[in-house]
Amino acid sequence: MEQFFQQLTNGLAVGSIYALIALGYTMVYGVLKLINFAHSDMFTLGAYLGLTLLTSLALTDHIGPLWGTVVLALMVMGLVAMVGALLDRVAYRPLRESPRLSAVVSALGASIFLQNTVMLIYGARYRVYPHDILPRVALDVFGLQIPLVRILILCASLTMMAMLYIFIQRTRIGTAIRAAAIDQGAARLMGIDVNRVILMVFLVGPALGGAAGLMVGLYYGQINFTMGWGYGLKAFTAAILGGIGNIPGAMLGGVLLGVVESLGAAYLSFAWKDAIAFCVLILILIVRPTGLLGERVAEKV
Amino acid sequence: MKRVILLCLALLLVQGTAFAADSIKIGLMGPITGPWASEGAEMKQVVQLLAEELNQKGGLLGKKVEVITEDDGGDPRTAALAAQRLATQGVVAVIGTYGSAVTEATQNIYGEAKIIQIANGSTAIRLSEKGLKYFFRTCPRDDEQAKVAAQAIQKMGSKRIAILHDNSTYAKGLADETRGLLEAAKAGEIVFFDALTPKEQDYTTVLTKMKSVQPDIVFFTGYYGEAGLLLKQAKQMNWKVTFMGGDATNNPDIVKTAGKDAAAGFYFVSAPLPKDLPSDEARNFLDTFTKKYGNPPNSIYAALAGDGFRVITQAIAETKSTDPAKLADYLHKDLKDFPGLTGKISFNEKGDRVGEVYRVYRVNDEGQFILQP
Repeated sequence: MEQFFQQLTNGLAVGSIYALIALGYTMVYGVLKLINFAHSDMFTLGAYLGLTLLTSLALTDHIGPLWGTVVLALMVMGLVAMVGALLDRVAYRPLRESPRLSAVVSALGASIFLQNTVMLIYGARYRVYPHDILPRVALDVFGLQIPLVRILILCASLTMMAMLYIFIQRTRIGTAIRAAAIDQGAARLMGIDVNRVILMVFLVGPALGGAAGLMVGLYYGQINFTMGWGYGLKAFTAAILGGIGNIPGAMLGGVLLGVVESLGAAYLSFAWKDAIAFCVLILILIVRPTGLLGERVAEKV
Repeated sequence: MKRVILLCLALLLVQGTAFAADSIKIGLMGPITGPWASEGAEMKQVVQLLAEELNQKGGLLGKKVEVITEDDGGDPRTAALAAQRLATQGVVAVIGTYGSAVTEATQNIYGEAKIIQIANGSTAIRLSEKGLKYFFRTCPRDDEQAKVAAQAIQKMGSKRIAILHDNSTYAKGLADETRGLLEAAKAGEIVFFDALTPKEQDYTTVLTKMKSVQPDIVFFTGYYGEAGLLLKQAKQMNWKVTFMGGDATNNPDIVKTAGKDAAAGFYFVSAPLPKDLPSDEARNFLDTFTKKYGNPPNSIYAALAGDGFRVITQAIAETKSTDPAKLADYLHKDLKDFPGLTGKISFNEKGDRVGEVYRVYRVNDEGQFILQP
């Protein structure tokens, strides 16, 4: 039983990271019906920018580890958001009126471009975050050993998701994003500046992806220019699992995928970990083709 | 008139190619991009440095040596294309590549084009069991490595053994082989045998599971990136168990990832590091490499690629020929105890390196790799 709960916390930690990245996929898909393949590279970029800022500014030495990390996270999110907006301007906006497939190809191209740019700038070797930023203690919770950092990561990602939810549901621009997701043409007729909505989506999504990258860097310590691929694939799966285009769905899908993966691996087989995760995805899609929280989509004619 | 001009142009072109043939071309196929790009970059540095040195001494058979690098991306499909490109460029021999599955995808292409291939990191057993005349490798085979690993595990007196691989051709081969040897020797009980997914960063699930079966030793046959994370996360879980790795964990980056405290006490099996070789060749080479690139080579496979280059240029110089059949014969039969960067090199009839055995290393508290007696 103890092992079950330990594995559950393991799954939750990974799942919350999947969920953060999945939000970026799902937001872009919701508004543009485009799968932004370059999103996984926003995640990688976040991890690398975090390392650069961390080592060059030494913020954690000046204002303490906790506040240093918070300021660092804000800076990384801001920078990655700018790259995200730039990506939209360069790679997607010129193709707004073209068939959807062109934009998907452009997304793949942007992903390859960004990945190799990171490799050329930072080199192909693993880069390592300093070891002593965050305290390396483990808390004893009902006999389970849970590293403190892991709890912090879980809290941070839950907070960010909650803030995003409030932003989307309660603010004017959030309402505009939801409106554009339902019907871009009608939203435009209602006086919503759709290009601004899309810009907003490309600021928020990459910022969350970048934050996830920074968290992975801080916690696991080892980053590599190809790291986005694995996380991106899982997060994309999570977005579909929860119902792509649906924000709470992405959160649920991410956490669920993380937990299913770690429990499936622990009780069945590690070598089949991904196979188990994808089998669950297929089963859910057979029963609910639109994902767990996805709404029934009528084909527009 | 037009025809005359065309003819002249054609002649010029012919002359142009004839001119280019005045150098001896050696191909280097390595993972310049992709997951093993750091190994690939070092392979290129080593081979280019050796080629420069050779050219400064006057080249080979009075000609310059030209190294043509192609990227295999660490991926069999990309590698097959790279091999075809190299085969059309008139290379005498190809050095590379690193991953076993990647090499396997190119063996037949080079074999049919009669190009000598000297792999530097592909340790899978079956590569040299196909009777290919032009295939060689400077790295030893997995069965050799498994033997040393199994002996080391027995010597440590481990009774409960966990074996973890990553489902790659290399890691699974090594894990299977070691399990077979341990079972045959009736040395202890294999309490865990499974694979992790490479490039994931969270291995707490697999560590939690392994911890619950209480092994004395964990033998991980995958690569250094994952090994570093395993060590670090085991330490964070307060799990004190002996870890041992295969030769793909031999890279200083493992200490950087894990941190010195978590890496201390880690054992790994590897071909000897250049620093532990008494030969003058290795020392000289390390000096020039450090002078040129600012740091000594990290990966033993880069040095093994260098050895591939050195044996093939030796063969060309000795046979005074670039005929692949003659060169292959020379390498199979006449090259004996060639002083390589990684020790003495000879090849058997399968093209496998003989003589040199794996060693066991241990990481000390300062994060240095110490050769175990």
